[in-house]
Amino acid sequence: MEVILLILLLMIGGILVTAAVHFVPVGGAPAAMAQTTGVGTGTTMLATGSGLTGLVSAGFMMESVGYDISNLPLVLASGAVGAMLMICITMLMGNIVYIFGVGVVPSSAKVKFDPITKLRQDLYVSKGTEGHGIPTVSFVSGTIGGLLGGIGGSLVYWTLLEINHNPAMSGIFAIGFFFLNAVIASYNIGGTIEGFHDPKFKRLPKAIVVSTVASLMCSIVAVFISTGGL
Amino acid sequence: MDIILEMGIVALMGAAATVAGAAEDLETDVGSQSNPNSQVQLAPQMGKPHRLYNKAISGEAPAYGLWCSTAGVTAAVLLGVKASPIVAIALGSLVGAFLLGMFAIPAHLGRIASQKRYNQPIYLDILRTHVFPIMGHGYVAVFATLVLCYILHYMLLHPFTLPLLALIWGITLGAVGSSTGDVFYGAERHFQQHEFGTGLNAAFSGDVVRKAEAGLRSSIDNAWFCSKFGGPVTGLTFGLIVFLDNWRTTVFHPDLGYGWYAVGLGVLIVIVLIMLNFMLEKYARNTYGPYKTLEEVGEVSA
Repeated sequence: MEVILLILLLMIGGILVTAAVHFVPVGGAPAAMAQTTGVGTGTTMLATGSGLTGLVSAGFMMESVGYDISNLPLVLASGAVGAMLMICITMLMGNIVYIFGVGVVPSSAKVKFDPITKLRQDLYVSKGTEGHGIPTVSFVSGTIGGLLGGIGGSLVYWTLLEINHNPAMSGIFAIGFFFLNAVIASYNIGGTIEGFHDPKFKRLPKAIVVSTVASLMCSIVAVFISTGGL
Repeated sequence: MDIILEMGIVALMGAAATVAGAAEDLETDVGSQSNPNSQVQLAPQMGKPHRLYNKAISGEAPAYGLWCSTAGVTAAVLLGVKASPIVAIALGSLVGAFLLGMFAIPAHLGRIASQKRYNQPIYLDILRTHVFPIMGHGYVAVFATLVLCYILHYMLLHPFTLPLLALIWGITLGAVGSSTGDVFYGAERHFQQHEFGTGLNAAFSGDVVRKAEAGLRSSIDNAWFCSKFGGPVTGLTFGLIVFLDNWRTTVFHPDLGYGWYAVGLGVLIVIVLIMLNFMLEKYARNTYGPYKTLEEVGEVSA
């Protein structure tokens, strides 16, 4: 395949990962103390954990059905489902800890009513906190994040495999792409975001510009290095 | 492979992942890793010196990626020289656990030593009694993760190599532990003096519980408490992720042309999970009720 097209595909994969991280509801350290809405971990960690689960699923699917381009949609879908499963199970169990372990109600401090369920939010935010747990809107947003991250990661993996035909090498580079773009997004949102309803989500275009540049540079490196040189 | 046998293998992977998740969470409780450690770190600055272990080497995901991939590399090398899988995995995990111990000691000493100005002493007995439980729990977590990676690579013929799978599942394991069990440790165990269910005001930051049922609380007490809820929940989360992700491709095997069915089944599970979360949210709202009334927010005239 043309080198330019491969670089383009890697860039699209990277941009998808950056966009995905903006959808994932993470509250960082305050959320680990139930002081802000979202999952109680870092942006990069959750998004990468989810994306890499998708990568394992995509790798397994590709091994089963073959590397043919006609199987690309199936591989991408498999990666997306793997990532969505990881993030959904984590968010659901996280909510179980918030509700039964900490005794707080999932609620958002950024919106008065949940845009999806129309449930009132501000009355359920405890005193001195910025919300807690993962309300439905954040859960759905996280699922979309898993979907995009899974597709992005799988696309990067598929493209790299097309270049070097080495699953291990492609996997390592795909992990690198994931971390790179997850960190860009993490800086852009300042470490925490509730999901697509959060005002910080409007910063997404800036991150996409940065991700495009960073992914382009890394794509060029990946195309030439992962094959063992020029 | 026979589908019944493959289903059994997938169940075994799920069981190994459950053990890994629970052990990982307990290791991060006894060693105080990741986000909740910010409270342990903050306590002396708030005038509350303590006898808790304070390490937080890094985020849990990269930390477990490192322990598991190091163990995976060791195991892969041993497997390469025809060692028995059990021996290779056991010795690999031992290397991973030693690495964890090597990072845990200077991380604790460095963090505590930097708090001298807040009158926080270095308790050598805490170091002596906590490092081995940290390494022990770490060993179990790494061992179980390597078992599932070994099954995935050698039995289910996943194309990724053992160290790469160990890196990926290690990162995922850390992300899961940090997202679920740690919340119980950070939001409940550290703040038990506040009434359950009132929420945790940001003004309480650093006000961690320092007294135990008898004497002063150590991080081993925290692991005991968290083993009743946070640890099992983390185990269940990681176990479900590993099991469900592999189960769908076992029921609808892509080799036989059922790839899209496996994707469809995954989407169905995701939809069920979203609905379960909504039901859980409704349950919490109805059970706990609002913290404020409409009058208090000024929306109903008296």
